[in-house]
Amino acid sequence: MSPLAPYADPQYFAILLIALIPVVVGLWHGHRLRLWESGVALVFITWMFAGPHKWHEGVALVAYVIWQLALTQGFARYRRNHNATWVFVLAVCLSIAPLAAVKLTPVVALHPSLLGFMGISYLTFKSVQVLMELRDGTMKAVAPIAFLRFLLFLPTISSGPIDRFRRFQKDYDAVPERGAYLEMLGRALHHILLGFLYKYILGYAFGTVMLPQVAQAAMAAHGTSALIWPLLGYMYTYSMYLFFDFAGYSLFAVGISLVMGIQTPENFNKPFAAKNIKDFWNRWHMTLSFWFRDFIFMRVTFFIMKHKLVKNRIRVSQVAYLINFLIMGFWHGVTVYYIVYGLFHAVAIIINDYWLRFKKKHRQSLPHNRWTQALAVFITFNVVCFSFLIFSGFLFLNRLL
Amino acid sequence: MKRRVWQIFGPLLIAAGLTLALFLAPLSFKRMSPAAVRSASVAMSPTVLAGARAKNQALAQGAVPFFGSSELSRLDPFHPSALAARYHRNYRPFLIGAPGTQSLTQFINAQTMLPKLRHKKAVFIVSMQWFTRRGVMRQAFDYFYSPLETVTWVLKAKDTVADRYAARRLLCMRAVRKDRLIKSALLQVAAGQKLDRPMRLLLEARLTVLHNEDGLFSHFTVNPHERELARSIRQLPAAATNQQLDALAAKVGAAHTTNNDFGIDDRFFSSRLGEGRLAKMRGKQRSFDYRFGPEYSDFELLLAAFAKYDIDVQFVIPPINAKWASYTGLSQAKLHQAVEKLRVQLQGQGFNRVLDLSRDGNRPYFMQDTIHIGWRGWVRVDRTVAPFLAAKRQPVQYHLNSQFFTKSWRDAVVSGK
Repeated sequence: MSPLAPYADPQYFAILLIALIPVVVGLWHGHRLRLWESGVALVFITWMFAGPHKWHEGVALVAYVIWQLALTQGFARYRRNHNATWVFVLAVCLSIAPLAAVKLTPVVALHPSLLGFMGISYLTFKSVQVLMELRDGTMKAVAPIAFLRFLLFLPTISSGPIDRFRRFQKDYDAVPERGAYLEMLGRALHHILLGFLYKYILGYAFGTVMLPQVAQAAMAAHGTSALIWPLLGYMYTYSMYLFFDFAGYSLFAVGISLVMGIQTPENFNKPFAAKNIKDFWNRWHMTLSFWFRDFIFMRVTFFIMKHKLVKNRIRVSQVAYLINFLIMGFWHGVTVYYIVYGLFHAVAIIINDYWLRFKKKHRQSLPHNRWTQALAVFITFNVVCFSFLIFSGFLFLNRLL
Repeated sequence: MKRRVWQIFGPLLIAAGLTLALFLAPLSFKRMSPAAVRSASVAMSPTVLAGARAKNQALAQGAVPFFGSSELSRLDPFHPSALAARYHRNYRPFLIGAPGTQSLTQFINAQTMLPKLRHKKAVFIVSMQWFTRRGVMRQAFDYFYSPLETVTWVLKAKDTVADRYAARRLLCMRAVRKDRLIKSALLQVAAGQKLDRPMRLLLEARLTVLHNEDGLFSHFTVNPHERELARSIRQLPAAATNQQLDALAAKVGAAHTTNNDFGIDDRFFSSRLGEGRLAKMRGKQRSFDYRFGPEYSDFELLLAAFAKYDIDVQFVIPPINAKWASYTGLSQAKLHQAVEKLRVQLQGQGFNRVLDLSRDGNRPYFMQDTIHIGWRGWVRVDRTVAPFLAAKRQPVQYHLNSQFFTKSWRDAVVSGK
């Protein structure tokens, strides 16, 4: 049997939606069919890792889940009576360890890590978040079954959006009113159909039809001064592909969640209409950037201020940005271009901060109208597209630099 | 509540119903305009090559297929399409091939055409560059892959050596494997089983959908090749003998090969080999070897199909630019052995119309660039092809031999003369 690739083709929706019919009927009548939902998730997740090339990923997933379950349960139990920082740090490190191993293995070895499986990053975000909340005391305990359900929630298992435990659990425990559920189904339909347009039509047009052509043109112009034009073409085409492919995927995940009566948070909010880089990160891959904001940027900032490592408040946020985006770069993968991408965004956001402060100081003398706003959107869009050109690895992999 | 349910799901249901009806209806499409057919006959695009409508309408109107690959897009004034148009020949070439089309692609994408070619003629330009150890380039196959033609073939497939071999080969291709229905049908053919009935029904429904898609969505607008061809035609005199054309071709060739010593077209040279890229190619092809590999058996699929439909085929084996070959270190001895092996395969089965130009790589202005025939080369091709297509169709006697589907043939060495 060949493995099932989530949302890869329209057939996936047909199979999944048929399997979810009892869930819909149940919710319609005010019941959540917990067992059936879990059964569907189990079958589908098994199917995703079926076949001779994937089964070892399935084994890795099982081992990973047991590991995270033991960690969170152990830490929750410990946290009832103690709160030593080093235990918390150790727990987080152990939680991240499998992901770190998977990301670092390609640097030192030729084969991918045996610990890896599709979706490991997103499961790690969820686990770490639970540990953080236990540490903060915003969560006192976490039931093993509820944790597994949250971690392995089928619609978002492979690539997010990254939900938060308490938010998810609230939705899960509450069954929506019939009228409200009908509206959710309406939104689900809208999400899935818009996702079709994004991923299967626009993402396909940019990624499968146009991208190889501009890539070819860029390779042909390699070493000549005319390289700039196909390279610009590649930059915009790849950026559009990246957005429509991933935004389409995210719409699917949110849509299917809604069918199951869960309001998974949105991942994109018109990112290319952002008026600066900060604004961009509030609109692009939002659940990831909010996770980084809450659990890296804020924590780093507090840590620095508490220990008075840096006095100047502006410097504090700059250091925090650098660390934040460097980690994000490393998370994407330990390659030059991902790390350069992270640094690029850190520098961009630091420059943006300078500009915002400058603007505040000279508010009277700087014009502000729809033309300047349009200019801001234009500049942001191009800076972002350039960062995606770095991210694509095209420059590095083809030695175009 | 009911109203709201309808508001939400009604449009979806209606749209789904309409789409299904549109695709499963036995639509018939109006004939394409002569201009559209003319455009398609030089388009060489995946839409045309993997589609069915344009190819088949052109053939029904008497066009002759010219199978080949990248050389077909060298549309200089002496290209078959230019000569046929300028001198009002009794045939119009329909170009079937593009950079990257090899035997397996040609075999599959010919499936809807074959019945229309029954008892007719075709021209086939084989490139020795196809015959690498790995055979057809996977990405190129995927690029030109036609589900329509593949389903057409699989519905006709029988339990023969050729069909089992073809199914096995197709199953190596990613674009084919991705399609669950086609994949399982091919697995049945490869195992020598008959397609079961539900499978057959599904495939037939699929074929209807694909034909409708092809009819609804393949549009042919003016393409750059058409403009290039028109420019080429204008350069030809109103009347000329083959010798006069040859002299003109030498003149045009000389005018286009001024910036290098290889007799390579100036524009090709500066865009592909200029700025120091030439030096990197020195000795680069020393290990190239076209004597072995799956392409020989893939090619046999085509021969078996030509024999089955009683098609009289003129084969052309173009040369490789000799100066280029010696610069890149390509072994002439191995090349000649490969050509010899191919000729054994062709002539051993009664395919006697073989124009072997493989030893003409050193003739001036014969090649347009490194491996692509042009100018005087096209004139030489015309000297054989024009009379072949002008003459009355003669009976052919092919006697196929399935040993060409075996590994021992793919690995065999045939010593060159």
